[in-house]
Order: sequence, then structure tokens, then C-alpha cells
Amino acid sequence: MAATTTITRPLPALAEGWSAEKDFKPLSVIAASAPRTIEPVGPHFLAHARRARHKRTFSEDDR
Amino acid sequence: MTEKSAYQPGASPGERCAIGISFGNSYSSIACTIDDAPVVIANEDGDRQIPTILSYVDGEEYTGNQAKAMLVRNPKNTLISFKDFLGQEFKSIDPTHCHAAAHPQDANGTVSFTIQDKAEGEPSTLSVKEASTRYLRRLLQSASDYLGKKVTSAVITVPTNFTEAQREALIQAANDAELEVLQLVNEPVASVLAYDARPEAKLEDKIVVVADLGGTRSDVAVVASRGGLYTILATAHDYEFAGVHLDNVLMDHFAKEFMKKNANVDPRSNARSLAKLKAESEAAKKALSIGTNASFSVESLAEGIDFQATINRLRYETIARKVFEGFNRLVDGVIKKAGLDVLDIDEVILSGGTSHTPRIAHNFRAIFPETTTILAPSTSPSAINPSELQSRGAALQASLIQEYESDDIEQSTHPAVTTVKHITNAIGVISLSEEGEETFTPVIAPETAVPARRMIHIAAPKEGGNVLVKVVEGNTHIKVTKPEPKPKENGKDSDEDSDDSDFDDSDEEEEEHREKVWKIGTTLAEAAVRDVKKGGKVEVTINVAGDLAVTITTREVGGKGGVRGTLKAP
Ligand SMILES: Nc1ncnc2c1ncn2[C@@H]1O[C@H](COP(=O)(O)OP(=O)(O)OP(=O)(O)O)[C@@H](O)[C@H]1O
Ligand SMILES: [Mg+2]
Repeated sequence: MAATTTITRPLPALAEGWSAEKDFKPLSVIAASAPRTIEPVGPHFLAHARRARHKRTFSEDDR
Repeated sequence: MTEKSAYQPGASPGERCAIGISFGNSYSSIACTIDDAPVVIANEDGDRQIPTILSYVDGEEYTGNQAKAMLVRNPKNTLISFKDFLGQEFKSIDPTHCHAAAHPQDANGTVSFTIQDKAEGEPSTLSVKEASTRYLRRLLQSASDYLGKKVTSAVITVPTNFTEAQREALIQAANDAELEVLQLVNEPVASVLAYDARPEAKLEDKIVVVADLGGTRSDVAVVASRGGLYTILATAHDYEFAGVHLDNVLMDHFAKEFMKKNANVDPRSNARSLAKLKAESEAAKKALSIGTNASFSVESLAEGIDFQATINRLRYETIARKVFEGFNRLVDGVIKKAGLDVLDIDEVILSGGTSHTPRIAHNFRAIFPETTTILAPSTSPSAINPSELQSRGAALQASLIQEYESDDIEQSTHPAVTTVKHITNAIGVISLSEEGEETFTPVIAPETAVPARRMIHIAAPKEGGNVLVKVVEGNTHIKVTKPEPKPKENGKDSDEDSDDSDFDDSDEEEEEHREKVWKIGTTLAEAAVRDVKKGGKVEVTINVAGDLAVTITTREVGGKGGVRGTLKAP
């Protein structure tokens, strides 16, 4: 992963009375996507290919 | 890579000696890596841009600049501009650039040349594949000499519109030269890699335009670079505006100058004179990339008359304007084709020999906003030599994969691995502007390939407390602001308003202001981070799986626990 970006513009405060199970409210899903071809080139692609072929996630890869 | 040929050269991964090759119609370049840094290799003549030419004199084979010199006295046995003919049928090729050299012919549908390549006897018929094999063999020899060991393998760059048949023919031509092709890599991507592999490069999500301006063709690509993964969004190809067309402009110019002194002698009407005119025009063109003046000097240009002239850069830029404008249009067109705006472009990489030309880079500088980096020798002191980008990128890729088994490389480059979903919209969080307005802060850029994972740290409100992390989709649009109509000036002599003195032609309309702004879209999820301390920060990690399911985790930076939630795949 790239170096962490830090953003100074602040998050809003939580409204009074906001509540959700485990403090997380799922509201929608990602609807728009397109199949495209990534170029099989470069060190990051090799990492992607390794994960894809061994069906590993990012966090499994980190370990 | 699915291509296979009967003969498969190569060594076991441990014993490979691999290089990168850029094989152009006009020039080629070879590179290796030394301690992971790319090094472009000079051939025995000391050239790093090696003309893609073969010439035969008295049974002796010449390549590179030695072969190029033969275009004046031995054009019939000199092969130029043949690389794109690989894997093509005779009826679909454009033989224009071979006019002053060996002519391509139809031999049962495949492109061939008839040349006297032996000292005695009948001329030979040489297929374009055989010619390529012979030329690649010479490149390999140069690389092996430099490295002190036999080169076994290579990554070779190809244009993005190289067909499957062309790829196959190139691989076979290489194999016939006893060269194992580890991988064919798209030219613009090799150029991006050459820049991204520099030690000082930062891994950033960016949109890159690669303008590869060569000798006989110009190719432009828009590439999304996301977490170091490259996706080509659009490409364009042009054969009307390239290096040879700049040569032609200078040839016409010097021919006319010559005819001013020698009224009835046109050096363009005689093959030998034309060849001399062309060679010297190309040299003058290259000199004009460095200096503001170039001299043109040919002994016995035509009918035994010597000719000398000079040209300055301004004159050159004036007579070549049409060609330069062609490059601008090509770049403009491909950005539109990608559905983007110049404001979306973070970087323009100028690649290919013609990209040395300062005017072209300056024109691009003017088309793009200031926020766009133009990577060319004349606009950026840290630019990499445009003639070396592709071979450097190929060499880097070769060093990355040379220890892999061929089967591994093949599986990794298979569409099952390379064709993946790309999110259309950006994903980000809501943050507040100084005025307290909701604004979009991107975490994952649009056109990012999945799976993808990104993390940001973002400030909590000053006083801390309970914080809302609202994850939303977002997209950009171009906001155009028309200038306020100018109040009429009340007199020419008024000495106020000296600010605007730069724009003295006040009749001209002031330019509209264009900026890229984020638009907030669908809310995907909300999460609460509680009891953040004063001046604290919140970490937000968004992970999009291959099926577009989303996992969001968020917690106070340095804090324990945190919130984790998921969104289903659509
Ligand atoms: N310094 C320079 N200034 C201007 N033009 C240059 C310079 N160096 C090389 N060129 C031109 O660049 C062109 C060659 O480009 P490049 O090396 O990218 O070749 P290529 O990829 O083989 O081209 P193509 O396949 O399009 O024929 C030639 O027209 C050459 O004259
Ligand atoms: Mg090229």
C-alpha cells in the first residue's frame, strides 16, 4: 500500500441520536464497474498476480 | 502469453541472461539492469539508438548507422522500416517508407525482400521475419559483447495495436535468433515503468498520458496508474505526423534553398541526391533539438554541386507547425476518447525520438494545466531520455521476471488474472470545508482495479468527541466559470488598473476558468468513531474485493478497537 495520506479537512461530528448495530450502517453497494485489463507489468502487478493465483487477500499477503 | 512456436530457446530460470529490447521501425535500443538500475547498452559503434536497418555489401552484413550510411550508395540491398510488416499480409502493409530502399514484395502473401546478401550468385528472397531474426541477432550480439555472456532471453516492447499475428511473428523471429521472449510488453507501459521505477518516484494514483512520437508513427495512450497497477484507458495511432514528416519539411526547405542558387537542379528528383538530402535533414533536425541553429552541409548534393546552409530553430518551428499541431490534436483526441479532460491528466510522458523536440513539449505545456507534469527533456530537468524509456522499462520488467518459470509467467499474464473489474466512481469520505460544507475526500480513485485497498488518516473535529465516517461514492466534473463582463474602460490614458497591463489586447475575450470539482454521489455506509480525543485523527481503510464487496474499517489513530463493517457484492 502507498504511504498513508493525511487529510486535514475534518470529519463531521456524529449527530445526536445516531445509532446503528455495532456502530456501522450499511446503506448501499458499489453498482458501477467495468471489466478492464490490467497490464501484466511491474512489481505491483506481480504482487497482484501472486494474490490472485493463490486466492489470498491483502491482509493474508501482509503476514 | 499464449503464443507458442516449435522451437523454444531459453535457459532454466537460474541460468537466464535477460535484457530489454525496444524494436522500432526506425531505431532500436537494448538495455539491461545493473544492481536493479536500467542501463542502455551501446553497440560496437557506440550508438544507443541503433537504426533498425540491415544492409549487404559484397556479402557482408551491416546494421545500425553503418547500414544507414549505405542508403546513399546501396539502397537496393538495404532494408529499412520493416518491423511493422511482421505478421502482416502483403496486401495490408504500407510500403511508403521503403521507397528509397529495398521494396517489400509479395511472396505467397507474406512480405519479403529480394536482396543480394551474398558476395556471389543469385539474390535471396528474405521474409520480413527472417530480416527481423537477422537484425535481432545483431542486437543480441551487441548486448552479449557488453555483458560478457550470452544473452538468452528478453522482454520486447510492442505497440498497443500490434495484432496477435504480429506478436506471434515477432516471437518466432526472436526464437529463430535463439532468443527466448519472456514477455511482450506494451510500449507506453514500459515507459511508465521506466519512470515509476526510479528510486525517487512516489507510489501515487495518477492518470498518465504517454505520447510516443517515433519515426514513422505516433502512438498515444492514456494510462490509469492505481497502486502501481496500470490500466490502458484509451489509445490512438497516427501515421501522418511523425519524425519522418519533420525530416520531409526540412528536406523541402533545403531543396528550395539549393534551387535558389541552382535554378534547375532539384535534389529531390534524383535518388542519390534525395538520400543525401534526407540524411542531412535528419541530422539538422536533431541538432535543432539541442541548439537554436543547425548547419546543413552536403558535398556534391546534386550534379556535383556542394551545398551549405543554416537554419534557426524559429524558422524550423514555423515551417514544421502543421506537423506539431498534428501531435497536439492526437493527444487531445485520445484524452477525449478516454472520456477525460486535460484537467484529469497528472503526467504526460514524452517518449520516442521525436519527443526530444523542444517545441512539441512546449506545445503540450500550453495545452495542459499547470498541475500536469510534462516529462520531456526541455520541460523537466529530471526527464529520462525519451529514446531510452521503452528499452529501460523492458529491461526492468525482464529483471523482475527472469527468475520465474515460463509457465508461471504465462499463467500470470493470462486474462483470468489480468481482466478484472474496475470501479467506475471514486470511493471516499465526507469531510467539512472551512465553511462547514460537506465535501468529498477521495480514498480510492475512479478506474481502480479490484481487489484494492487504501487507507487514509483524517482529522476529527478540533474538539474531538463522537465522529461520523460517511463513506460515499464520488465523481468529478469540470466546472466552467465565465469571466465577469469587464466594465468599460473610460479612457486610454487612465493609469489605474496596471495589474492587467499584460493583457493589452483588451478586445480579446478573457478566458473562462475551468476547474475539476468533486460531486458527492450515493452514500455507501456510515460508521461512528466514538470518544476521539481533542486534536485526534481517524484512520479509514476501505477494501474492495474482486467481486466489489466492500470492507470498511475505521478507528482512532493510536486507539484500540474500532468499527468494521461490510457491504455485499452488488
Ligand atoms: N534529438 C532528436 N531530436 C529530434 N528528433 C529526433 C531526435 N533523436 C531522434 N529523433 C527522431 O526520432 C525518430 C525515431 O524515433 P524512435 O527512436 O522512437 O523510433 P521508432 O520507435 O523506431 O519509430 P517508428 O517505429 O515510429 O518508426 C526519428 O525520426 C528520429 O529522427
Ligand atoms: Mg517506437
